[in-house]
Amino acid sequence: MTSTPMPASTAKTPVAPGSVAPMDAGLQSGPLSSPPPKLATGAPMIAIDNVSKWYGDFQVLTNCTTQVAKGEVVVVCGPSGSGKSTLIKCVNALEPIQKGQITVNDTKVVDKATDLPKLRSRVGMVFQHFELFPHLSITENLTVAQRKVLKRPAEEAKKKGLDLLARVGLSAHANKYPGQLSGGQQQRVAIARALAMNPVVMLFDEPTSALDPEMVGEVLDVMVELAKEGMTMMVVTHEMGFARKVADRVIFMDRGEIVEDARKDDFFGQPRSERAQQFLSKILQH
Amino acid sequence: MFSNFDFGVVFGSLPYLFGQGMVFTVTLTALAAGMGVILGTLLAMARLSGVPGLKHVAKVYVELMRSLPLVLVIFWFYFLVPYIGAYLTGASRPIQVGAFSSALITFTLFEAAYFSEIMRAGIQSIPKGQTGAAYALGMTYAQTMITVVLPQAFRNMLPLLLTQTIVLFQDTSLVYVLSLTDFLGAASKVAQRDGRLVEMYLFAAVVYFAVCFSASFLVRRLQRRVAIIR
Repeated sequence: MTSTPMPASTAKTPVAPGSVAPMDAGLQSGPLSSPPPKLATGAPMIAIDNVSKWYGDFQVLTNCTTQVAKGEVVVVCGPSGSGKSTLIKCVNALEPIQKGQITVNDTKVVDKATDLPKLRSRVGMVFQHFELFPHLSITENLTVAQRKVLKRPAEEAKKKGLDLLARVGLSAHANKYPGQLSGGQQQRVAIARALAMNPVVMLFDEPTSALDPEMVGEVLDVMVELAKEGMTMMVVTHEMGFARKVADRVIFMDRGEIVEDARKDDFFGQPRSERAQQFLSKILQH
Repeated sequence: MFSNFDFGVVFGSLPYLFGQGMVFTVTLTALAAGMGVILGTLLAMARLSGVPGLKHVAKVYVELMRSLPLVLVIFWFYFLVPYIGAYLTGASRPIQVGAFSSALITFTLFEAAYFSEIMRAGIQSIPKGQTGAAYALGMTYAQTMITVVLPQAFRNMLPLLLTQTIVLFQDTSLVYVLSLTDFLGAASKVAQRDGRLVEMYLFAAVVYFAVCFSASFLVRRLQRRVAIIR
């Protein structure tokens, strides 16, 4: 199976000028994950409570508080150096925090008793630079954590991995190595790799920032698909077209603080803070 | 000028030189390199760990070994190991471990210091995002090292590890101080017995050169083949 261009029908949604490349990449039909019911109420999937973080004397996060409900898609944006990537890495404890608490799926992240590897195995993460393992084939990349962490039998892991690879339209590349794939293809594999762990929530740390412009669309397509299936997602991105299309809420950060935390329509309609207004006008004007 | 030399002595002693001498040299090199790489990798991981005590012990060990002449270490261990063995087992007499075991332990411990520096560079050459990705998938420290970091570090550093092994191959000739018969030792014995010093040492030099030069050549070819495409 190879990726086939999708009909132009995907471009129906109005897109902010210059923000999103055309959605042209091939996606097989069928769900990427088993869809949880889309609920915006109940216990939050991610609760970030008064989080502060310092690098030495330099404070990178200041009293950040927000929540992500089950099934919600939250886009985090802001100028570079605003702490948005740091914040998302705190959610699965890749970065330690010095103050505050983060709760993921009712498990406290900052707690000596917490089994961090177990917690992280349920939190999918996609990185700016893909971070596929270059010495392993695509299939091995998709199965290694399933086997080692979830202790799935090799057969089952392989089936799951190849299934997801098909869903992101890359079955033909199963036996290749990451270095033989384009950036966009690598990122789609990285998303499939995270999904293979049956995550309850997916974190995306600038998933399209390192891509050539013509490859942004194929990755966003996969993410849109995922959002539509009801996956809980926290996405750090500058892709405002993506935010308009699928986000429920938008968080705007600046200098380590959450400046604005609003429903999508409110954020794009009339951002309350001046800094958010300036930011939007800058990134939307081209 | 070569009319006084008799190179026939070389051919007569070939079975002894290679059957015993070279077999010993290669065995010692392979075992010491294998164990040295394992110990060196553990030392490198200890040095890169954030654990204060562990980190410093490893650092002191590496620095100490790298600051001492190999011959001295060989002597030291030959005389010390029996006493350490006696101390550890509570025996009343020094425990005889034999010259070969003593040499093997010495070379392993000594080379581990050099291998650890190579592996440390190798581990540090792996981008931090790789460990981040492994942790994010729920892997433990051990799983991250074994499946993600070390295989890549090892492949990146394979040419250097092999080059160091070639150096070790030459260094094993120092076992003559323990009266062990390696390749050079065997050549030396024949030379003394037959009074053919020039012929035998010349031949030994040619063999060492041929082995090491072709090994270096193979390492360079290998380097191109194992490189990971990024």
